[in-house]
Amino acid sequence: MLAPLSTAIVALSVGTLFLAVYYAIRERLINDGVLAILGILEVALLVQVVYGMTHLGRLAEEKATFTAYLLTLPFLPPFTALLAIKEKSRWAMVTIAVGAGAVAVMTVRLGQIWTEHGH
Amino acid sequence: MATEPQEPVVTTRDPSHLSSGPGRVIVALYAVMALAATGRSSVQIAEYFGRAPFAYVMSAAAAVVYLIATVALVTGGRRAVRIALVSASVELVGVLVIGTLSYVVPSWFPDKTVWSHFGQGYGYVPLVLPILGLWWLRRFLPGRA
Repeated sequence: MLAPLSTAIVALSVGTLFLAVYYAIRERLINDGVLAILGILEVALLVQVVYGMTHLGRLAEEKATFTAYLLTLPFLPPFTALLAIKEKSRWAMVTIAVGAGAVAVMTVRLGQIWTEHGH
Repeated sequence: MATEPQEPVVTTRDPSHLSSGPGRVIVALYAVMALAATGRSSVQIAEYFGRAPFAYVMSAAAAVVYLIATVALVTGGRRAVRIALVSASVELVGVLVIGTLSYVVPSWFPDKTVWSHFGQGYGYVPLVLPILGLWWLRRFLPGRA
């Protein structure tokens, strides 16, 4: 269950990353559509927290690192969204791109730990 | 084309705009690094400090410096510029010294830290970020041209 969810999160965040770069190039600001995508991403990350925390027993090792990634992730979309909303230049969407990229990388790491040490 | 070679024009910007424009992206990068370093180091110290005490203390130090830089950039103001400059300099020295040490004395680093191997585990962001930060902060210094 965690693997498909993580894969979906990686796909969504990579998609957000590309969209954000496209917006930045076109000098478009953050809009409701982008916020909605970030909202979906946030919900998925929170579901991942709940699932991960309740299934921690299935990890043979690296429990602590796994938990650190798991709990850190949901902070990223709201924080970068907040930064982007207050910025009225193309850099707003570059900020979103940075956040989405970080979510993707950290979720990939999370998934690696799960497949290596989980059962 | 007979104009004199000009010094690169670096206009002093209002230090309250520390986190606008490209500064936003730098703040985001700092916040991500602060989060990642804090998460990692608190886990390392709480769960298995004995495994690599030196490395973990370095991770925690890095986390603190990233946090200070993030807060300074978000706050803005002349004092924040100075604080951010100091923390970016500390980061640069840290990543260079720890990065070198991790290759020269690998036995001190049985586990990876934010700054070991020049931040390899974090896509070299720890190496690039202080340089980016210093470049950005430069324009907020008064009396520089």
